[in-house]
Amino acid sequence: MSATAFTKRADAALADPILKVAIERTASTAETKRGIAVKGFAHFEEARTRAAAIKDHVVEHLGFYLEQFEAAATAAGAQVHWARTADEACSIVIDICKAAGAKTVARSKSMMGEEIGLPHALAEAGIGRIETDLAEHIIQLADERPSHIVWPAMHKTSEQVSALFKQHHLEPHAEETIPAMAESARRHLRDGMLAADVGISGANFLVAESGAVCTVTNEGNAELSLVPPRIHIVTAGIEKLVPSMGHAVQLLRLLARSATGATLTQYTTFYTGPKRAADADGPDVMHIVLIDNGRSAMRAEGLAEMLRCIRCGACMNHCVVFRQIGGHAYGGTYPGPMGAVLTPALDGLAKNRDLPNACTLNGKCQEVCPVKIPLPTLLRGWRERSWREGLEPVSVRQGITAWAWVAQRPRLYRAAVRAAIFGMRRFGRGWIRTLPMAGGWTAHRDLPAPAAESFMARYAKGER
Amino acid sequence: MSARDDILATLGTAAPPSGAADALLADPVRPAVAGDLVATFFTALELPASGATHDRIADLADLPRAVAAYLDGHGLARAVYLPPDPRLTANGAADWSGFTLSPAIAPNEPTVLAVARLGIAETGSLVFETGPSAPMLPNFLGLHHIVVLPVAAVVAHLEDAALPGEQPRAHYWVTGVSGTTDIEGQYIRGAHGPRFLHVILVGED
Amino acid sequence: MSPPGPSPRVALFVTCLVDLIRPQVGFAALRTLEAARCTVVVPSGQTCCGQPALNSGARDEAVAIAKRTIALLEGHDAVVVPSGSCAATIRVHYPELFEHDAAWRPRAQAIAAKTYEIMAYLDEVRGWRPDTALAATATYHDSCSGLRELGVKAQPRRLLRGVEGLMLKPLKGEETCCGFGGTFCVKYPAISNAIATEKADAIEASGADLLLSGDLGCLMNMAGKLHRDGSSVRAFHAIEVIAGMGDGPAIGEDA
Repeated sequence: MSATAFTKRADAALADPILKVAIERTASTAETKRGIAVKGFAHFEEARTRAAAIKDHVVEHLGFYLEQFEAAATAAGAQVHWARTADEACSIVIDICKAAGAKTVARSKSMMGEEIGLPHALAEAGIGRIETDLAEHIIQLADERPSHIVWPAMHKTSEQVSALFKQHHLEPHAEETIPAMAESARRHLRDGMLAADVGISGANFLVAESGAVCTVTNEGNAELSLVPPRIHIVTAGIEKLVPSMGHAVQLLRLLARSATGATLTQYTTFYTGPKRAADADGPDVMHIVLIDNGRSAMRAEGLAEMLRCIRCGACMNHCVVFRQIGGHAYGGTYPGPMGAVLTPALDGLAKNRDLPNACTLNGKCQEVCPVKIPLPTLLRGWRERSWREGLEPVSVRQGITAWAWVAQRPRLYRAAVRAAIFGMRRFGRGWIRTLPMAGGWTAHRDLPAPAAESFMARYAKGER
Repeated sequence: MSARDDILATLGTAAPPSGAADALLADPVRPAVAGDLVATFFTALELPASGATHDRIADLADLPRAVAAYLDGHGLARAVYLPPDPRLTANGAADWSGFTLSPAIAPNEPTVLAVARLGIAETGSLVFETGPSAPMLPNFLGLHHIVVLPVAAVVAHLEDAALPGEQPRAHYWVTGVSGTTDIEGQYIRGAHGPRFLHVILVGED
Repeated sequence: MSPPGPSPRVALFVTCLVDLIRPQVGFAALRTLEAARCTVVVPSGQTCCGQPALNSGARDEAVAIAKRTIALLEGHDAVVVPSGSCAATIRVHYPELFEHDAAWRPRAQAIAAKTYEIMAYLDEVRGWRPDTALAATATYHDSCSGLRELGVKAQPRRLLRGVEGLMLKPLKGEETCCGFGGTFCVKYPAISNAIATEKADAIEASGADLLLSGDLGCLMNMAGKLHRDGSSVRAFHAIEVIAGMGDGPAIGEDA
């Protein structure tokens, strides 16, 4: 099969031993820690079932909860905006920044911001962007995209980080140690973070009942960048709704455990509107941008279960394909199994048909998903659509169609089996090292040669 | 058609059946928290992942002494930021003579005091809200975060954290010290937020 | 030891890979089922369960094959399959294929309800234990479909523990996919190879003489990789060892 953009990226990733070390360090540690956390959490399975039910309930009544959220957030003093597309969302954010005369924005980590292309939009508008999350800061300096939804800079070595900091920080680290580098980032980002005109965050949850926006972080950077600025802007996918804080709590119990093995992240914050008149600090203005960008279409087109996703990253940490090729090979905002389902929805199937296909359907992702998303089923669904739309390579279509035709005709099938045995045994007895048309297999492994006669032939002759 | 109209038209806005959302709140799966809430809270605080230390005093009058002991233990000057909380700053509340009190929070404030409204035994979390006497920024700027918590304010579960009634600008839970594993997976304390968290429980059993 | 009562009439669906590459797996299945007091029928029109079409998204083709297969296999007390992935195709995916087909849905559900992976059938339904011996060390890989779609985990190990002299050694990452994935391994060979390399390393590190598993596709992938890398680990389908055929030629050793 001819190379595609995906296979070229995957090949490059497979040839990179440093990347492999980085992937193993991150994903394998996450796997181990999650395992410990799950073992220590009695009735984890029931918690998953409940979490899935909460998200399904919300997705089924998404319009209702969005309206409820909008009313509550507005009553608390926030301004709620709606965006159908990534461009609309960026325009809203840029317009708010421009109207405020903002020169710099401080961003805390948000995959939604990546998804809508906010960094690029800010750059085009000439607005300075301070990434306050350490990993996002690193990839901003490197001018790269995140390679993991929880550890965006997992692909970077400490040497690469050190070089970036030495190039860009005013007072970089003196010692070549990771604590020294982190200290350099803490120094470098502090003043800019505190002086930004606008703070932009994502949302882990939107609480319909109260109009609260919930963020979870480990560094404290979100809070630092959302208190001092005059304006707080939230960019959030519409599927982030939960009915009440009690529902959010049940999902929060699973989120950090699934992502990093922690009980909770260090900071869990619920923002309800801007500062109150008598508050000691806080932004004067809060804008919440509710973003569709394909989500309502996903719900209508058989992908409702994907909208349960709470962005924990467990699926990719446990995916044998992700573990070999890393995040950038997927070519989109989201990698791993959840990325393989989302990217065709967000960016078109034709361009991304490799993603649902480059999967063994082993089901580990579904097993570890805290909200029980049937990822293999959704990936198979994309394969079906790809087939229906004629996107599969001609050789594959012809092969499968021929196979299926023969498989419905036993006498023909038996003859084909006899021919295949005869043909294959000419290339080896016992083990076959090379076989025409099976280069994909024999390039890397030997193939057991068939026995002289098939089971059905021998059985028909009376062997028992 | 506005974006709002478009999106809601696609999704529909019918309400869920009455009681459906509430049914999903019943009997949440959560770790059991039995018996002594304070002991459970301390156990959670003492987990390596938390990075916190703790102390216990009988009443707020003892607070300056306990803070002094903490600072001395870390070789730090007796200089702290106090939020404008009358429980800490009112006449007769506690005697801060011998301390330099920061008039305003500095970007690299060494030590910040705060009063938490609740402690959650299930997770070792501290619960705060913003208000006139409770600025939020200092709690994230200080290198050392010393949090005062009344012993009666330790509750069992995360479900008990919520402030009833009208919500403040921010309601937040602090669970351990700030940290990151963003560079080669190595754990660093105090990424942006506090590197040290010291909880002083106030009150008798 | 098997439950008393009339002998169930069992249809053996050997699978296309067993039929083409390694018939002794089919005979091992036959012999163990008969030892477990089943009356075994091998429907002569059997070909393939349709998994390649199903996993390629060729739904119409998968439906056509499924209909044929259902018609072929219904009318028996049970359908037994020496493959977790093929058994799962019938048991889990056939009902999904016919979810909206009023005529075929009950037939698909009926066949699904009585289709079993062979080791699960022998252990749980028949309550049977092998009566054989093999002095060897073996390590067991849990094939993904059998494990996650059918819950095949303890049953093979219980049966293998009944083989006198066989010592099971743990496989690190025994539940980690081997990288076969049906058409995946030929569509994305470089990625598949990287996955298979790690699996082969883990198998070597187990120190076992033999690799056992319940799916021939996985076994061909792992054994093929092991052999290419010069390993001396030999591979069998677990049912062969359970049937007392573990002293025969391993995968790739047929003349």
